[in-house]
Amino acid sequence: MGCRDIFETISAFVDGEASPEEAARVREHLASCERCRVLERQMRAVGAGVRQVRGSVPDGFREAVFARLDAEGALPKRKKVFPTAWRWAAAPLAAAAALGFFLLASREADRAPVPQSPVTSRVETSAPGAPVPGSPVPGPAVSPAFPPVYPQGNAVALSTEDREMLALLDILEDPAAFDANDDAEGMDLLAPGDSADSPNRPRGGRSGA
Amino acid sequence: MLLFREGSREAFEELFSRHHRAVVRFAWRMTGDPSAAEEAAQEIFLRIARAAPTYRPTAKFTTWMYTVARRATLNYLRDTKEGGEKVPILSEGEAEDGIYPVQLPGPDDRNPEQVVWEAQLTERFRTALGDLPEGHRAAFVLNRGDGLSYEEVAQVLGVTVQAVKTRIFRAREMLLSRLSKDVSA
Repeated sequence: MGCRDIFETISAFVDGEASPEEAARVREHLASCERCRVLERQMRAVGAGVRQVRGSVPDGFREAVFARLDAEGALPKRKKVFPTAWRWAAAPLAAAAALGFFLLASREADRAPVPQSPVTSRVETSAPGAPVPGSPVPGPAVSPAFPPVYPQGNAVALSTEDREMLALLDILEDPAAFDANDDAEGMDLLAPGDSADSPNRPRGGRSGA
Repeated sequence: MLLFREGSREAFEELFSRHHRAVVRFAWRMTGDPSAAEEAAQEIFLRIARAAPTYRPTAKFTTWMYTVARRATLNYLRDTKEGGEKVPILSEGEAEDGIYPVQLPGPDDRNPEQVVWEAQLTERFRTALGDLPEGHRAAFVLNRGDGLSYEEVAQVLGVTVQAVKTRIFRAREMLLSRLSKDVSA
């Protein structure tokens, strides 16, 4: 058998596509033929060379493809996912409900002051206008009974999920979240006139919020 | 693809994310020109999207995708660049007789293995690839560039496995001849 008769099989051998019989025949031939050993290496090299020709994804390629597809109507429109929308709507709705309840409770507290209880919810401690005990800068005018006292168990009325959701809102940030991350140190938490050394420096909310 | 056929835009976006690099690479190797590759690659995704309603998972998705890709680049080349075979080749029957239009470089020639890895040769390689007959180039690129087996290449090109084997060997032969001439020039 001449070399030329086995060239094509060497090519398939290089690609791992030769049958076991063909591979055995190629190995036997290569063992005794220097020229074909060189050829085999050249075939491998030229196979590797094609992978060097790769180009790159042009800038804006994705946008161009999807613009053409949309213009042609070949793609379905992006769906409005109502559950997701409702999930986002839930946070402001929950905040509004909490504020409404809060205000109603405050009015009730004005009518019938109740001795302040040490048990307060996290929402209560960060409520807008809450006075800071001992602060040189008084908070907004509030009733003496502020913060109001809710019926026992109100502090746990909000579920963990609700609290996390409310914590996303600027007006009701969860002080525990700040404490946990120690983020309060880097924020402007001081009321005007407050000093950083003030022992009454508030934590857990934005002053005057 | 099945999810996309059922109306999921997100499924097509995922499909695009997974395969757009391979499609661009294939188009680049087939056309050898950046702007042509981009145009062809866009056309490939348009064709994939258009074909979704009739898509049937009878083969691997990538095999089907490369079938679409090859047809798109072939049409693109016919329309814009290649009016026919650029490199004269002998028929399959002549190849079986062992008569080849080019001579393989002998052991005395400079070994392409030493230079094919050099960056400056990439450009020559791209040019040499572009001079191959389209069917040979497609077979070689799909196998060596994109990792398809001979059988998968045969499905994409609609030919027999033996024809793939012959095309890939002859592609190698022509590339080696061209690169050796380039190097010795």
